[in-house]
Amino acid sequence: MSIRALLTIFVVAMISRPLLAADLQVPANVVAGDDFTITSSNREGGTFYLIGPSQVGKRNAVSGSEINIPGDEIKNSGLYTALLCSGGDCASATFYVKPAAPAKLSLLVHPSRVRVAEPNAITAVALVFDRFHNLVTEPAQVEFQAIPGEGQAISQSRAASNGIAWIRLTSGKKEGPVKVGASVGPAKELRVVRQVASDACNLRIKPEWSSGKFYVSTDPVRDCSGNPVPDGTVISFTKTDRTGKTTVDAPVKRGIARVQMPIDGSARILVASGVVTGNELNVTGKQ
Amino acid sequence: MKLLILFLVLGLIAFYVGYLHADQPASHVEINTDSIGPRAIEELTEKSIVRDYGLAWQTLRNALENNQGSALDGYSTGFAKDEFSRLLQSQLKTGVHVRYIDQSHQLTAIFYSPSGDAMQLRDRATLELQIVDGSKVLSAQQVTRNYLVLMTPGADRWLIRDLESLPEGRP
Repeated sequence: MSIRALLTIFVVAMISRPLLAADLQVPANVVAGDDFTITSSNREGGTFYLIGPSQVGKRNAVSGSEINIPGDEIKNSGLYTALLCSGGDCASATFYVKPAAPAKLSLLVHPSRVRVAEPNAITAVALVFDRFHNLVTEPAQVEFQAIPGEGQAISQSRAASNGIAWIRLTSGKKEGPVKVGASVGPAKELRVVRQVASDACNLRIKPEWSSGKFYVSTDPVRDCSGNPVPDGTVISFTKTDRTGKTTVDAPVKRGIARVQMPIDGSARILVASGVVTGNELNVTGKQ
Repeated sequence: MKLLILFLVLGLIAFYVGYLHADQPASHVEINTDSIGPRAIEELTEKSIVRDYGLAWQTLRNALENNQGSALDGYSTGFAKDEFSRLLQSQLKTGVHVRYIDQSHQLTAIFYSPSGDAMQLRDRATLELQIVDGSKVLSAQQVTRNYLVLMTPGADRWLIRDLESLPEGRP
């Protein structure tokens, strides 16, 4: 026999040693947290090892042909290796522990603040877990819900793939909180997204004379859905008269923006907020 | 002739033992992002995932080898970290060790959340799995294992949040 053949036999023997005595029988369907029994053809017993994703267990002097495994030892789903060692030989079996039924959800909702009437602006991702926090990889239907402060709730169902279901939602037309939820079986999770007014829309300005001074003020500034824009939103007033062109920025306070503008002769005044423009005023200064 | 064979066998054993105890570098990691969705993966994220997943396995391997729970802090979080910590505690309690000598990981990215805060991947890992009681190797098997991995971004890296081994044949 050549040296090469001897070495090959040695390496194969080292690697496959546990496989030679594979006489452990494990049920085909094992579920996380459920008791089950491993059957061994070796009635003399030995030392039993159970190696799982989050534990290693060792029992000395196991006897008899049945080894009872309590559910507590297989809370984590995944691949397990059982070994029964006796007199220098080990019998082994590798088996899969399935996750239990869906019982918990992790819900990721983004963003926490969104403008009204934005298409597909809110995303919700639900991760489906069993009661031991194993990701449930079997198909499951996740029910997503959007519950506005006023108005009717909307719900849609999505199939979870590899334990994950997700949805995109368009924000509502009215500002205020909207609850975004997901449920599967007994598990339910809710998150709150604040919907805020969008850009100003239909800006309108009007002239005002007070104590001989000229003011320009806006009507209440609202977005296209009629929600008042938040105080602090900047409104730009641009005046063109014979002295030239002047722009004044004013923040919205209590729903309107107002500025004083000295007028020399006749003037043209424009209003804008961001890329939105409003009406135009043509005024003549008082002499 | 007998002496030569004896030397060869001893040399092989010495090499084998040395190989087991060497501090292994990060293993080879490849990623396929063709079927990712709904968000497209960014080039930098792809590089980070490959780097951080390899380093996560390296730290897991070292933590299990040396029973060092603190080593897990770097690249795992959430349920994954809890599971690995429990594994370490039971190793200490029983004196039984699990040794992963991972050689390669073929990652397939399958889900990247629209907001970029979670990524799910499949890993087809080639590794040697050893079960050691004290200093006695009870089992040493060369295996190919499928994992379902959930990763989430941390401050400067991606962390393993969940790692589940799957049976062979799962799509």
